[in-house]
Amino acid sequence: MNKGFRSMHPAVALLYYAGLLLFAALLFHPVFLLTEMIGVLSLLLMQRQGRHLLRALPFYLLMAGSVAVMNPLFSHRGANILFYLLDQPITLEAVLYGVMMMLVLLTIFIVFRSYNYTVTTDKFMYLFAAAAPRTALLSLMAIRFVPLFQRRLRQITLIQSTRGINVNSGKLRKRMKDGMTLLKVLLTWSLEEALQSADSMKARGYGIRKRSTYGIYKLDRQDIWILIVLAVSGLCTLLGWLQGYAMLEIYPRMKPAVFSWGEAAMFASFCLFVLTPLGLEGKEKWLWRSSRRSGYPSVTPMKAGIRSMSFRSR
Amino acid sequence: MARFRFPLLIALALFVVILALTAALKDRHYILLSLVLVAAALFPLFVRLERRALESRELVLLAVLSAVAAVSRIPFAALPSVKPVSAIVILSAYVFGAEAGFIIGAVAALVSNIYFGQGPWTPWQMFAWGMVGLTAGWLRNTRWMRTRTGMLIFGFIWGFLFGWIMNIWYIISLPDAFSWGLVAAAYASSFYFDLAHALSNVFFLSLLAGGWIKVLQRFRKKYGLLQQE
Repeated sequence: MNKGFRSMHPAVALLYYAGLLLFAALLFHPVFLLTEMIGVLSLLLMQRQGRHLLRALPFYLLMAGSVAVMNPLFSHRGANILFYLLDQPITLEAVLYGVMMMLVLLTIFIVFRSYNYTVTTDKFMYLFAAAAPRTALLSLMAIRFVPLFQRRLRQITLIQSTRGINVNSGKLRKRMKDGMTLLKVLLTWSLEEALQSADSMKARGYGIRKRSTYGIYKLDRQDIWILIVLAVSGLCTLLGWLQGYAMLEIYPRMKPAVFSWGEAAMFASFCLFVLTPLGLEGKEKWLWRSSRRSGYPSVTPMKAGIRSMSFRSR
Repeated sequence: MARFRFPLLIALALFVVILALTAALKDRHYILLSLVLVAAALFPLFVRLERRALESRELVLLAVLSAVAAVSRIPFAALPSVKPVSAIVILSAYVFGAEAGFIIGAVAALVSNIYFGQGPWTPWQMFAWGMVGLTAGWLRNTRWMRTRTGMLIFGFIWGFLFGWIMNIWYIISLPDAFSWGLVAAAYASSFYFDLAHALSNVFFLSLLAGGWIKVLQRFRKKYGLLQQE
């Protein structure tokens, strides 16, 4: 069900994820990166996406972990030499830099995981359909064709197997040839049918005028408030970055990390940016919980402040 | 809102470009810059798709071919690097030309990643498969591509090039360790995956080439699709 942060206007979600990605790629400070990672992780867990994340985690760890290993092996900058490996100095700074890069990559992966869940294809298309209508239509059609073609391929397989063409029996050579026959049937069938629908698109006047777009989403007051909060806190964080805060200097010699007042203010606005959706999600959970407590569940009146897609489309 | 969309998008793009440049020059932090550059590489051909005269039939044809390429990736999900996508993109570009090949490759990457998970690698895959289509379209009238062996060699080479383009993304995250040693190590560790991709390209191309080219060329002739190139 769509609720909480997921039911916000697509522009809010896009601003949030664009900001997260930007900060992951710009800020080079363990405290900031860890805050972002933990924030997004808890958002995912609150949305009950933990199991999906767990499935992809080995790949993420392998990719990011290899960066942490590779850096000290190939970069020998830095003043503190830990030990020598095959006559190559392994420096403390290079190890730390590798670990930082690992954090950056892990954060980016997790942000994308959360993005996949929150910004569904239709929301993305809603945002970009007006800017690039043809590309949007093309990708939307392709996305729609994927499940259709899978279904069709199953039908073709079923029908062709009655005349002995199937990929599960016979010699390898025959099976491969049969598989290609099935794919060719799929290609011709789909092309014929798609070209027909193109003709009917044309008959109905596609491409005569500039395409208009239908928007199902409306910015309501809460969306606007959240947009403002995210924009202001994001800009404050960026200003801090331009001042040179939140940059851990590792090379050539690691500087002791001093948390100045400016940096603390920047961290506060960064936290506001990262944790706002968590707050929304938590508020939603709390409202659902407390609404269950009073009265019959079936006659519970709609509490003010509960947001869901079905509620807004009414 | 709609009136401000283009200026807003342009301003946003400029903003991100400046941030990326600052990060790269000031702190030698190249991740953002690399993403910006890949997006810039994808940009011109998509702009051309928006601007050029295109029949609805041609648009639908591009969608069908990208969807077929994306679907073909699903049964092989368990085997890394074994994807018929490159073969299908090469064949489509061979019949319909370079621009169509680029669009089919890029859209197939975008669409199939909806099922496989989007990530920072999506723009790189879009770029790599787009380039597969673009080069196949450019070379389609040469004597080399006209022969079956030439096409198989082309697919084999692109199996490696694809992996090498994807490796750039990895190398860029370690600016200080950059040395030929690191490059060699990264490319050596991906060698078997690249080899698998190259061999599967040869395999799928040799299976698909004859039949698919015939089918696609017949459609092209019958409906007069993408003829002007």
